[in-house]
Amino acid sequence: MTQATRISTGTSRRRLLGTALALPAVMLGRTAQGQAGGGLGTAESPISIRMLANSSYSNLWQSAMVPEFNKHFPHIKVQIDGVPYNEQLAKTMLDLTGAKPTYDFYTVDDPWVPQVAQTGHLLDLKKDAAAWTAADFDWNDFNSAPLAASEWKGGQFGVPVRSNMLLMFYNRTHFSKAGLPAPTPKLTWTEFRAQMPKLVQNLGGSGPANAWAISTYFTRDTLTPTIWQAILNAHGGELVDGNGKPIFANDVGQLALQTHIDLLQWAPPGAKAHGFTESLQAFRQGQTAVMFQWGSVFRGTAVDTGSTTLKTEEVGIQVMPVGSARAGTHRGIWNGCVSAKTPNQRAAWAFWQWLSSRQGEAFASDVVGSFPARKSTLASNPASAWLKPVFTTLQEAYEVAAAGRMWRPRSAKSDQAQQILADETARAFSGDVKVAEALDSASRKIARLRL
Amino acid sequence: MSTTVLGTRTGTRRIPSRRVSRLTDLAARWGFVTPAAILLIATLAYPIGYTLYISFAAINLGTFSPDEWVGWDNYLTVFEDDRFWDSLWVTFVYLVFALPLQMFLGFLSAFLINADWKGRGVVRAAFIIPMVIAPVIAGGIWRMLLDPLWGIANYLLGIVGLGPIEWLADPFWAMFTIILIDTWRWTPFITLIASAALLSLPRDVFEAAAIDGANWWTTLWRVAMPLLVPVIAATFVVRWLGAVKMFDIALAATHGGPGRATSVVNLFIYEEAFRSLKFAESAAMSLIVLVITMVLTAIFLRGTRMLEERN
Repeated sequence: MTQATRISTGTSRRRLLGTALALPAVMLGRTAQGQAGGGLGTAESPISIRMLANSSYSNLWQSAMVPEFNKHFPHIKVQIDGVPYNEQLAKTMLDLTGAKPTYDFYTVDDPWVPQVAQTGHLLDLKKDAAAWTAADFDWNDFNSAPLAASEWKGGQFGVPVRSNMLLMFYNRTHFSKAGLPAPTPKLTWTEFRAQMPKLVQNLGGSGPANAWAISTYFTRDTLTPTIWQAILNAHGGELVDGNGKPIFANDVGQLALQTHIDLLQWAPPGAKAHGFTESLQAFRQGQTAVMFQWGSVFRGTAVDTGSTTLKTEEVGIQVMPVGSARAGTHRGIWNGCVSAKTPNQRAAWAFWQWLSSRQGEAFASDVVGSFPARKSTLASNPASAWLKPVFTTLQEAYEVAAAGRMWRPRSAKSDQAQQILADETARAFSGDVKVAEALDSASRKIARLRL
Repeated sequence: MSTTVLGTRTGTRRIPSRRVSRLTDLAARWGFVTPAAILLIATLAYPIGYTLYISFAAINLGTFSPDEWVGWDNYLTVFEDDRFWDSLWVTFVYLVFALPLQMFLGFLSAFLINADWKGRGVVRAAFIIPMVIAPVIAGGIWRMLLDPLWGIANYLLGIVGLGPIEWLADPFWAMFTIILIDTWRWTPFITLIASAALLSLPRDVFEAAAIDGANWWTTLWRVAMPLLVPVIAATFVVRWLGAVKMFDIALAATHGGPGRATSVVNLFIYEEAFRSLKFAESAAMSLIVLVITMVLTAIFLRGTRMLEERN
């Protein structure tokens, strides 16, 4: 049973192939049950697997993704339980380290992988699951940046299943009303700073401002520092060196944080309290010209009329502005991981294999709005036209991220460092301390963690 | 037949000795207490004991369990963390303003709704609404109401030429907002207790005061208040114990910001425990807060007793 045989373009052909594939799967399931890793289930004895995933997409996956998966693997019943982001890491760790874990597989966020992998209870997919990996499952087809999100100490503990990169969204109408050209990926921070005052405007032509230049994270939140980290990386800076020692409390770090703080001058009133929801809401309601946000929100921002006031052609997407070194972005990949404790390793890996295959990625992009990590998928012609600029931007973002190592520290204490950064930079945003003081304090505290 | 049996039993019954009676009594008492004691040990003593244990240990994040005795290290780490001290200060500020305000408004509302006026039943019922709304939802709703862009609060202020106020983005107003939401939530609780207390006051004392020509202020200050002192003190202690553990509203409304302006100690402990997974240090912080709370509660209870004795 190979991934290649599952390649299909039409629904009827896919169904036919699904049925054809089910046969060897059933046979393999019969023979493999009782063996290490379990099987793929049979009509008489289906396998049930349970996934712990983030609640922001778990329901959609359950209703849209699982039925599609079951066309290929009809005897694997998948139940997906959603959990809020802030509780997910703790719940994953507790479950995985428990005597009898409830879950067979997990979605693990980018910075959590080292910590979760360190438990020793995740399957090394390239090694432990090699026997159940389809011959044409091409690991080299993944972009290096998203694939590296689930690497830890030489092991491959996951596969990218929902790629997310910090990107620049812009509203073409705002730029044209301000008499400015639409941004391009070559837009520099200097140019963008010069444009921002003009983007604070009244869209009706006169009267007080009812549109502002920028919306993004400013509130005290662990995701807020990702913005200045992207600016830091764009200017060639890094958070930590190869030994995990903080190296951001310097001129480049100060420039980056000050740039982030300065954005408040051209942000809507009250933006200092804005996080994910508020910044998204402001942009979707046409109140801001630019938004620095995760790429995964594109569908809900530019396509789904139920959640946005904007039209698809109105919304542009690209990497964040160029600094002195390169453009900016920040990696945030959801990885599909399999518990080493589950007897259903093979079935769980079958799900992730399907989802991260080219067919799975194409389906997820088009129907669910989860974005791909494979070079071949990103180079292909997507089923929906709105995906084309997204694919182009994602490919560019992956390359930029890889070049600038634009991700959070690869350490089991990554979240602790991020919490410190959130605390300290929040003090600079509120004006309690100067930028240099906030960075020095954060650097000292992170150094004590010994990442 | 039953009469015979009864008669037989009555005839043969011996008066139980005092010792047996005492033992039976003791067994009955323990019989009633044991289920509650087991429940308390399981849900309170064990977690506190485990918290105490891990506060002196290092948690292995690989096994997610304590694996090394580190003595006072976690406590020293906490004492050296300026964020912990900041969060204690923020909690102190919140308590100093929120508690007296809620007590004052609660008893004032109780006096008002206990007076005889039309529609007080509806008002009394409406008072319960804030208490039954989940704090996270309450925080979210208030966040929307106070949003500078699309919130109604600034819109209304704008009509009368005030504002706009950055309710959640300015440190002063953010703390004000937290106190406001907490007061909105918990004043009805105090009102309900105060209202019940007022209804239970002896009428003859008030009638005597009226015959003596006391006006409403004298009646309130000289008659009602002294009678209410035990209730006020008990309510204060109950509310204090509730308020000191507040974090959900801060989490939902301000995320502890801007800066550390509303990062109350329990929010800080929650973040350190469940976001940074620093369970050992968080356990140490929890126990420090527990000790502080117990000491202050003991002082309040002593004060309450003194007030009761004085009256």
